[in-house]
Amino acid sequence: MRPDADDFRAIAFYLGRIFLVVAVAGILPLGWAAIGREWGPFSSFLLMIGVYGVLGAAMVRVCPEEQRLDWGHGMVVVATTWLLVPLVGAIPFVLSGHFVSPLDAYFDAMSGITTTGLTLVQDLDHLAPSLNFWRHLLHFLGGQGIIIAALVMFAGGGAMTLYYGEARDDLVLPSVRSTARFIWSAAIVHLVLGLALLGTLAWVVLGFSWQRSLFHALMLLFAAFDTGGFSPQSTSVGYYHSAIFELGVAVFMVAGALSFGVHFALWRGPRRELLENLEMRTIIASFLGTLAVTAVGLGALGLYGSAVGLGRQAYFQVLSAHSGTGFATVPSAELARWGGLAFGGMALAMALGGMASSTAGGVKALRVGLTIRAIADEIRGVLLPHGAVIDRTYHQFQRRQLTDQLAKSVMTASLLYVALYLLGTGVALAYGVPLQAALFESVSAAANVGLSVGVTDATMPALLKVVYIAQMWMGRLEFVAVFAMVGFLWSIVRGK
Amino acid sequence: MARLLAAVSVAVIVAGIAGPAMAQAVVPARDLIENPANLDGDVVTVEGELIGDYGFRSDGTMWTQLNDDSYARRPLVDGGPRTGANVGIGIRMPARLAEDLDPPGGYRVRGPLVQATGVWRYHDPARGGESYLEVTELVVVESGRALDEGARPVPLIAGALLVLVAAWTFLSYRKVRDRL
Repeated sequence: MRPDADDFRAIAFYLGRIFLVVAVAGILPLGWAAIGREWGPFSSFLLMIGVYGVLGAAMVRVCPEEQRLDWGHGMVVVATTWLLVPLVGAIPFVLSGHFVSPLDAYFDAMSGITTTGLTLVQDLDHLAPSLNFWRHLLHFLGGQGIIIAALVMFAGGGAMTLYYGEARDDLVLPSVRSTARFIWSAAIVHLVLGLALLGTLAWVVLGFSWQRSLFHALMLLFAAFDTGGFSPQSTSVGYYHSAIFELGVAVFMVAGALSFGVHFALWRGPRRELLENLEMRTIIASFLGTLAVTAVGLGALGLYGSAVGLGRQAYFQVLSAHSGTGFATVPSAELARWGGLAFGGMALAMALGGMASSTAGGVKALRVGLTIRAIADEIRGVLLPHGAVIDRTYHQFQRRQLTDQLAKSVMTASLLYVALYLLGTGVALAYGVPLQAALFESVSAAANVGLSVGVTDATMPALLKVVYIAQMWMGRLEFVAVFAMVGFLWSIVRGK
Repeated sequence: MARLLAAVSVAVIVAGIAGPAMAQAVVPARDLIENPANLDGDVVTVEGELIGDYGFRSDGTMWTQLNDDSYARRPLVDGGPRTGANVGIGIRMPARLAEDLDPPGGYRVRGPLVQATGVWRYHDPARGGESYLEVTELVVVESGRALDEGARPVPLIAGALLVLVAAWTFLSYRKVRDRL
């Protein structure tokens, strides 16, 4: 069926509400710019808020009655939101003069909101603090979920659809709205703890002024807890030259990679869930495995003169890759020299990603764990005598059945990620990028990591920028909403 | 006469070879980033802008970043050309060398342009594998200066108008909704 006016009204109504929420969020950088007397950025934030506001108000005005949102409409709202919010959010970047083209500005806005962290910004070290704040706030909005924010403010008939469309899994609490509130509460608690911890470390250990300590702490916290990867200085976390500070940042990278279900278990119990949870076990095993592979690879390359140096650099980079954060303590030129096993370990860590229903990207530990479990069950079925009963249950907050349907769906999603990784690799190869670098950068974009070996640069071809933007978008939404949107567009064109 | 000419020639050649070594040639920071092992342990001089923060630590040292890119001479805010991402290295020096420095570079400041001379340490085992320049001599080439971006009237006016339109549209929506 070709969509009719009611379909468009329903989509516009929810899109409008979300735009209004982002317009309100835009007041934060506007206020920052006003307090800091940064009048250039102030005017661009005002323009951005105006555009969000007009779009949002016009959309809800078109359809003043609250609409019921069916599954397909909800998915289209989510996919469109994640395309349009960064488009308007890129306005301050375009006007700042720190980007070569509007496409580059959109690239960074998409990278910010999808918590990727790849960047095309020029002269970051002279960027206005309010613009830096906006880059990192995009991480926070995207990581916690813009839709979740909208749900907290006004739940509607389509709350459930919107919640799942943003690549979230089970509800932590009985209703979507209470779950959304919990997610934002967890974020606020981490924000306060992070400001206290990282701010104190920056002030006491690094010797920064207290104002700059708070600034660095806030930026890094947004990027770490939301596994984003932007940083306030061009040399990322390598800027701080402190193992203790890196450890403090790592705490919040780990917190960001954990699902909100695990956060809930940590807060309210039962804490034994952490030991029994399939996804928790999988992510610990895959982190230790990729860390070992990377460390052995670095040892073989002979890049580090001491075990402590090798261990520190391997640990931070692998944690950054696996959690999908994208911080680095080594320059991208050096990361490009991590060949052989070190490259393999890093690429695998990025590809696997963090936990489902966390702010991390990648295939996700739950899918990896279930895929391994399904394959193991198949092998067991072949080896055991005919008629033997195989226990096909697993523990994920409760005892669950690993059905054939579930196994098929997790394997399909995993294969889609592999296809997405190969898409970007193929395009970069076509432009003459060496295979290792092409693969690394593509996985980094699609798994929303943000580590770079130098391919991501303002001088790279426009098509490659567009492909990376698409990868970040699809990787963040985990395909379903994207497919629903493509189907919707197809039905407009074909009428069915 | 021939001997005198020969002696002068030898002296000129020797001075030509030894001169640059004694004067300590300036190494681009990009060389240290792209080929860091080549100069490991060597005394080098890098020229650039001190930027970000001055981190005075309890061990009597000060850490900061030295950017050696086009923005170090002319930042974007100051109308400089876009030439790519920043290129910088971490530097550490005794705190006393940093006592009278102008504030480090940032949004409102082009930090002091300096020539920093010291030992390039690549993956220093004593610092957990970090790479940085251990500065022993710092010469300020150019003082820091204030930068001013200024307001942008067109986005400011357009933004204010759009916000008013949005507010009016939203209020009219509320009225319609309340009537329904």
